[in-house]
This record gives sequence, structure tokens and C-alpha cells, in this order.
Amino acid sequence: MSTEFNLISELQDKTLIIKTEGYINNSGGEKIVREFEKHSDINKLILNLENSKVVNSIGISHLIELIEKLSQTNGKLVFTNLDPTIEKTFSIMGLFQFADKSDTVESALKG
Amino acid sequence: MENNNLVEKLSLQVESFQEGFEILCKSFSFDEMVKSFLHIIRGNFIVTETYSFHKLNSDSTWNSLSLKNVPDTSYLSYLHASEKPLIQYYTDQKIDVSITLPLADHSYLGILIGRKLDKSHFTDFDKITLQILLQVFDSAHKSFLNQKKEKKLIFDLNEKILQLNNLIDTGIELSRYDNKNILFELALGRVVTLTNASSAVIIINDAKNDTVENLISFPSNIDVDGVLNSPHKIECFFEFNDKNYRFILSEKETRKGATSFNDLDEMLLQAVSRQVNASLENEYLLSQSLQKERIEKELALAASIQQKIIPENLPKIPGYELAGINIPSREVGGDYYDCFDLGGGKYALIMADVAGKGISAALLVSTLNAALNSYLEFNLPLSELADKLNKLIYKASPPDKYITFLIALLNSESGEIEVVNAGHNPALLLRNDGTLEQIEAGGIGLGMLDLGIPYTSTNTTLNAGDKLFLYTDGIPEAMNTKEEEYSDEKMIEFFKVNSAQPLDDFIKNIVEDVKSHVGEAEQSDDITSMILKRV
Repeated sequence: MSTEFNLISELQDKTLIIKTEGYINNSGGEKIVREFEKHSDINKLILNLENSKVVNSIGISHLIELIEKLSQTNGKLVFTNLDPTIEKTFSIMGLFQFADKSDTVESALKG
Repeated sequence: MENNNLVEKLSLQVESFQEGFEILCKSFSFDEMVKSFLHIIRGNFIVTETYSFHKLNSDSTWNSLSLKNVPDTSYLSYLHASEKPLIQYYTDQKIDVSITLPLADHSYLGILIGRKLDKSHFTDFDKITLQILLQVFDSAHKSFLNQKKEKKLIFDLNEKILQLNNLIDTGIELSRYDNKNILFELALGRVVTLTNASSAVIIINDAKNDTVENLISFPSNIDVDGVLNSPHKIECFFEFNDKNYRFILSEKETRKGATSFNDLDEMLLQAVSRQVNASLENEYLLSQSLQKERIEKELALAASIQQKIIPENLPKIPGYELAGINIPSREVGGDYYDCFDLGGGKYALIMADVAGKGISAALLVSTLNAALNSYLEFNLPLSELADKLNKLIYKASPPDKYITFLIALLNSESGEIEVVNAGHNPALLLRNDGTLEQIEAGGIGLGMLDLGIPYTSTNTTLNAGDKLFLYTDGIPEAMNTKEEEYSDEKMIEFFKVNSAQPLDDFIKNIVEDVKSHVGEAEQSDDITSMILKRV
């Protein structure tokens, strides 16, 4: 069954930028983690969720896993272009205690 | 080795055990913890060959956790699932040590250690160190499990708060949308978030012929048959406005794959579908309200147009008094009266009543008014005029619409009066001596039939003191709450008794008398009357 989830990534020095499109559920979350694991020595992951408006708690558990993996190497996860509903969801789930948020990828790169 | 020496050496290692415990506790995963533990073992015993295995429960098989492949499967024969830690030392085998450690989560850790680099075997000191390290690992693993449990509890608690928050937000947001497709898409997005569903579908069927009118899914391009045939699905329905709305969720997600939905998921799905139902109802009621408002505005406009058709002032006829009134039962009515000054001392008094009320009746009144304005100019004989009006109204109206019509053509100088009554209530002529005459001659109502049935007129003369009273059935048929009519008798009696009053007063008083009879009952029909008196 198609879950209509796609992503593209770009590596800038030790920063990996992943832009997602579609439902961040178990399958979408797994794809993000796999994309991250393709790269080593990443100290910042920027996750651009501009085209993802729906996320479920299984998808969130994958994002928490990413945060934990990054923290092992003192890395940081930064969410950008968040839909207000998703931003509220992440806030309730406590993700912003361990990850940052930024309006745009450009501002996340500077931060 | 002397005991004192052993204790001294162990004391020196306490700090490294503590450090090892902290490293193990920081592990992100079980695999990572085992990897760190093997690293500690290699460092403590100066060995290079270590293998680790994991067995989920007593019935499952051993899985290798080591990056380094086991040389051959015979190594697995050294591992024996035991309810107690089992450490076996060998001097003549492929390996020097085999360990089976039962863990707190009922799984088993297996470790095989090869020969030390200096080719020596494990000493007593090494054996005690290994036992302590295994206890350190066991404690760290319990701590790891507790941390995992704690994280899960926090996650579950946050998830419940999120569900509650989402449910409240969903209700608020769904009530904002009047675009149905956006409403459905939002509802689907919300409900998959609330239930961790993999996908969701809304199917809208026409309730009468059961055909699919619309289908909305989330994600948008999923295989709908896959959803419908999923072994893990829940659904709910509601019917509104002759349409069936079917909500289906499929495949509740977990990290380990799809599972069945639970009771809470069903409640959440029903809650969202009820919110959609309420939103559709609100949108429908709002549209009905707006439509009603628009109709009321149109009626007000029609009423203002009709007010221009009903005469504001009747013409002054030398030697006569004339008064009239029209009280529609709705914004616009189907009654009509007028008096046309035809010049040369001639006047046409009109009284008409369209079958039915409201806009359709008002339109026919307008048609009649326009036709009279046109035809009366040609000074046609009344029977011919009535025939022309009949043909016109017949063409202009649906089969169930017609007009009862009465025209009285007055020669004011002679007092002669010619009347055609097309199916209307009889005109009442009260002579000065108190004699009452009823004028009924004429024909069928205008627009009823177009069969060429001729209209006939009747002639009479108004003498000084005579009064001609024209009215519509809204007066004699006015009903009170007991469904009793005002009646022809009561009207005629009122006419006889009160016609000496000034005509304006008479008109007002007869209306008051009718209203007094009606009481609390609603005015069911238009009330119209006109009275002419030769002075």
C-alpha cells in the first residue's frame, strides 16, 4: 500500500539536510532514519518538514531515535518549516527539549 | 594468588568497574551495550577473539550480535540457555570461556571468549573479575530497561495528552470549514494522527441508489481496495441529507508492523466522524438560513412592487364616495382591487383574487394589472374584455392557477353600472331602502379554461343612497381558532347595519370585526374590500 512519502537530502560539510514530503508514519520515519544512517560524522541534521503536514506517534518515535543517535555524538537535530499543527504536536511530545526549530533551512544553517 | 593480593587488585579495579557501568548505561541500544561490554572484556583480559549472541527467549535461536562472524556454527554448541548465569572455562577447546547470562527481560546473552594474547588461561583473579563484570552488565542492562520503560511511559503519557489536544483542536478546526473536501481531508489527517492508522478513507454514497458520489483518502493516492480488504481495519457510518458517510481506517501502526485497532481507536474514529457530521449539519443549517434570508429579501422586494399595484388613493368620483382596503396574509398577496378612471365620467371598479398565495399569486396579480391597464384603454365591451383576460391568464398561468375576477363599469353621470363576475364572490348591492341584491352573472374564473365559453354581463343602476360592496373571500371565510368562518351571513348583516357610516370608517370597522372574530388564529387569507356609494 503506497504511503506516498518521499525525501531528498543534501550534505553540506557535516550538516545533513533532509526535506520530506508526505505522512511521517512508521514507514516515513524509517526512511528518514535510514537516510541519516547512510552518512557518518554528521553533527547537525536539518529536517525540513515543509511538505509534511501529518505525523503520527510512531513517526515521532523515529524522530526521537534520531535525536538520541545525534546526542551520542553531541550532534543536533533542527526542525524547519513546521506546520503549526506539527509544531504543537512536537511541543507536546517534548521534542523541543532535545531538538531545535527554525523557520527556514537557511536560518538553521546559520544557527 | 594470595587472597590479600587479590583483594588489593580488585580494589584497584573498582574505579574501572564503575566507569564501565557508566559507559554501559549510556548505551543507546542493547546491541551497543553488548558491543561496549565486549570492548571492556577485551581490555580487561587482553583478548582479541570475542563473540556475542542474543536469544529472545528460551524457545528462540541464538542470533549473532558481533560484527566479526563466528568461524563456524559449532561455536553455538558452547551456549546453553540457563536460568542462572553459566560460565564455563576450557583449556583444550576453540575458545577459553563460554558465558550464558539470563537477562531481566527473559532473553539470554551469550558470550564466547577466545585465548588471551599471551596464550595463558584464565586465572582465578580473571574469573572473579569476569563474574563482577557480568554483574555490572546485568545491573547496567536492568538500568537500561528501566530507562526504556520510563521513556515509554513519558512517551505514552505525552501521546495521550496529544490525543486529547488533537481531539479538541479537530472539533474547533472542522467547524471552520464550509468547503467539504477540505473538511474531509482535515478529518482524515487528524484521525490517522489520533489512531496511528496507516491510511484512511471516506466514502460518500447516495443513500437512495447506493452509488459512490465521492471518495477521499489519506494519503491521497492509496490503493483503496487495499484499505477495504485490510485485515486490520475499523469503520463507522453516519447518514445525513440522503447521503451515507463511511469512515474507514486501516492498519494501526507500531514499530513492529501493523496491528489491530483497539477500543480507544474506535471511539476516536467515532468522535471525529461525529464532528464531521456536526460540521455538515451546521453548514447545511447556515445555507438554509442564508437561503431563507434571500427569499425574505425577495419577498420584501415583491411586496414593495405589489404595493405599487394596489392603489394608494382611489380616484374621486363626483357624486360618489369610494373606499377600499387590502390586507395581505403574507408579505405578498393574491388579492387585487383598483378603480380606473376611464375618462368621460366612466370608471372601472376591479376586485380579483388569485387562487393561492405568495410570489406566484403576486405574479398573476401583476399580469392582470398590466393587462387591465392595456385593455381598458380600448373601451371594449366587458364580456369581450373578460374573454381576452381569460385567454391571457390561461396562457400565463399553470393549470392550478386562476383568478376570480369582478369588474363593475360605472357611468357616474347616469349611475348605470355594468358588471361581469368571473367566478368571484357576488357583488352586494344595498339599495337605499334596505333591499339587498347579489350580482353573480358572468362566467368562469379567469385562466381556468380556454373553451370560448362566453362571459355575460348584468346591468343595473345606482341610485342616491345605494351602496355597492365588493370583497374577496378573505372576509366571509376568515376562521377563528375553532375553525368557524366569519360567514357570508355575518358579513351581509354587518354591511346592512353599518353601511350608513362614512365609507372609510365602514371599511376599517368591517376589518376590525373580522379580526375580532378571528381572534388568536393566524390570518389565513388576504382581506380585500371596496365600497361605492352614490351620494
